[in-house]
Amino acid sequence: MEILRSIYEVAGFIVLIALGVGALEAYFYYHFRYYDRPWFFPVALAAFPIGALVAASAIAGSYEFSLWFYFLLAEALIAAAFRYVVKGRHTVPYLLLAPAFVGLALLLVYPFAFEVYLSFHDLKLNTIMMWKNTGRIPFAGLSQYVKVFTTSPLSEVTFWALLGRTLLWTFSNVFFHVLGGFALALLLNNAIRFKGAYRTLLVIPWAMPQVVAVLAMRGEFHSQNGFVNIAITKLLAAFPFLASLGVAPVQWLSDYPLLTCTIVNIWLGIPFMMVVILGGLQSISSSYYDAADIDGASYLQKLRFITVPLIKPVLMPAVTLGTVWTFNNINVIYLVTGQAGGTEQADILVSALYKAAFTYNRYSYSAAFAIVVFALLFFISVTYLHGFDAAKEER
Amino acid sequence: MASVQFNGIVKKFKDNLVLNGVDVDIKDHEFVVIVGPSGCGKTTLLRMLAGLEEITGGEILIDGLRVNELHPSKRQIAMVFQDYALYPHMTVEQNMSFALRLRKTDKAEIDARVGEAASILQLQPFLQRMPKQLSGGQRQRVAIGRAIVRKPKVFLFDEPLSNLDAKLREEMRVEIAKLYQRLNATIIYVTHDQVEAMTLAGRIVIMNKGIVQQVGSPIEVYRKPANLFVAGFIGSPTMNLLSGKLSLQGEDLFFSNGDIRISIPPYLLHDAKKHDGREVTVGVRPDDVLVGRTGEKCSDKVEGVLEVCELLGHRENLYIKAGNTRLLATVEAFFDRSPGAAVSLCFNYKNMHVFDKATEKRISE
Ligand SMILES: Nc1ncnc2c1ncn2[C@@H]1O[C@H](COP(=O)(O)OP(=O)(O)OP(=O)(O)O)[C@@H](O)[C@H]1O
Ligand SMILES: [Mg+2]
Repeated sequence: MEILRSIYEVAGFIVLIALGVGALEAYFYYHFRYYDRPWFFPVALAAFPIGALVAASAIAGSYEFSLWFYFLLAEALIAAAFRYVVKGRHTVPYLLLAPAFVGLALLLVYPFAFEVYLSFHDLKLNTIMMWKNTGRIPFAGLSQYVKVFTTSPLSEVTFWALLGRTLLWTFSNVFFHVLGGFALALLLNNAIRFKGAYRTLLVIPWAMPQVVAVLAMRGEFHSQNGFVNIAITKLLAAFPFLASLGVAPVQWLSDYPLLTCTIVNIWLGIPFMMVVILGGLQSISSSYYDAADIDGASYLQKLRFITVPLIKPVLMPAVTLGTVWTFNNINVIYLVTGQAGGTEQADILVSALYKAAFTYNRYSYSAAFAIVVFALLFFISVTYLHGFDAAKEER
Repeated sequence: MASVQFNGIVKKFKDNLVLNGVDVDIKDHEFVVIVGPSGCGKTTLLRMLAGLEEITGGEILIDGLRVNELHPSKRQIAMVFQDYALYPHMTVEQNMSFALRLRKTDKAEIDARVGEAASILQLQPFLQRMPKQLSGGQRQRVAIGRAIVRKPKVFLFDEPLSNLDAKLREEMRVEIAKLYQRLNATIIYVTHDQVEAMTLAGRIVIMNKGIVQQVGSPIEVYRKPANLFVAGFIGSPTMNLLSGKLSLQGEDLFFSNGDIRISIPPYLLHDAKKHDGREVTVGVRPDDVLVGRTGEKCSDKVEGVLEVCELLGHRENLYIKAGNTRLLATVEAFFDRSPGAAVSLCFNYKNMHVFDKATEKRISE
């Protein structure tokens, strides 16, 4: 019986979505079809805001007349856009894209707009009840943005220290990802036996859910029971002279948390770069290497003058993606250090942001913080993109 | 400038025998063209000489020096690849100077050599362009320029003109001929275009299935093909090949295949008695099938029916059927007969070729 009910619910949900999509398509169809009729504006302004109001109050369960005014305003804008800009062109493509656009708007545009709204107000632990009861949050102007740069998101570390640490973290991770990925791709690009098996093994860390991979690696860095320290202890037992060189078991998680996170994240990130670079290497025609052989290039010269320039077009987007991912990588840091009683020494911008929002409950402050981080990343990505446009011009 | 010798070259890719004992001697300052059907191992042979492919058996000598184990860059050869293989991320100038820069040649020397090559090939306006900003013919010239700049002993060309259209190919062919006179170098040139082979070559090497079929000057291979393969491969349109039997009648030797019966004069095959009853293939080039002019010295007329005429401009191809035997004749335009008309023809005996049917070797003079 339980199963029947679940099936029933799912079916109902599907029907609901289908109805929603149908209504959406009908709405747009009206605008595409009748944009030039004399009755276009009156009908649109009379029918749709009221329909939307009815739908909204049915969903919310209560009724608020002021909403109608916003719907009217939105409809006027949309109708005007259809009449004077779109003019009924590209009907079918837009109708096909409409559900996806609306979905994106709900999932991306609305949260983003709400975040901007939050960042100019003051929502925190002592104002959240007020928001819940009255729907109002005190306006705070730019003060949250000022706080981002002047106060600590956590207990002591400052924004600037976090920024420096994040840049160092991003750079060292991406550097080793590319280096390791390139080295492995070069090895795999040779005609070696069991190539497929090696490739599969090397891709595993990437294919595994990150949470599992990180927690497993975290265990390996445990001070007593982790593989790393056990290996060091065994080595010391076998080769006592190593002790005089300063080799000793290390308290990875408490003494070097950021280094530990970096090692774990490098291990996680190499497969992606390897796969991308391998693809790039395989697309280089072997006749360039033949020509370079005749021209007398050594292995390293071929690498430098042929391979690297020719994989740049695939490498640059991968490096941009890798940079953004690493910059934003909260999983590794949080899972390795962030749980109860975790240290602040390994936090980067986004993990501090997460803690500020959900451990310290400073919602508006974190919204402002998030927008600052977003602006930084946007700037970095645009710079990179300009970089490849320039590189493309060259070719 | 150097001589090149291939001694018993064998090449296997796993179990696939691609070259089976190639012996060719190429003299200093010779223009040798290697022709053969697709897949016969021409590129493989060239790549082995360049050092890009391992040698399974035999040896290669450049200027008398065994180079089997020598690195490609030490062999003093330059290769122009079929797809040009211009480095896409370097300008024309950087492409041409790459080898010299690797060798740390000094700047002035590099500039002088690149400038010289560019002026020979008329590449000066393009020196700062990227390969993708050039037309096919220009890329081709850059590829040649890159070879010239290194001043190699031997130039290797692998079907350098095959990616160009017919007109450009003709122009580049003349350019290459001029270049050869100017460079005074040994050139080995692979193609499967007959016209290139006939016009450029000092000597032609004809290959099939990894075996050298014949080596000789263009005239030799055209006039005296050593076997059936060469006879069919060289010359356009293709030679008419008629298989049949020889028989002796009195003192004279006759060839017959049921439809056609012609006498074989003693200057083609002496010692007529020896050949009585032999299975042979007779080859006649379309130019040597004389149609309509049966008056003069033509003892065995062949009667046939005209099937199709193809006008080529100054010449005309006639497809004629004599009994069940199809013959192609090439005559002066305009042959004023419509398809279906009866024609009589005879062969120009002096240019006939007789091959043994079993061994496919030439047996006529
Ligand atoms: N790397 C390779 N591995 C296996 N077989 C190969 C390889 N390269 C060439 N072959 C085979 O060797 C034979 C000769 O190839 P090659 O490229 O020399 O032919 P070619 O005479 O240059 O033909 P084309 O006129 O089409 O260029 C072909 O049958 C080909 O399939
Ligand atoms: Mg080839």
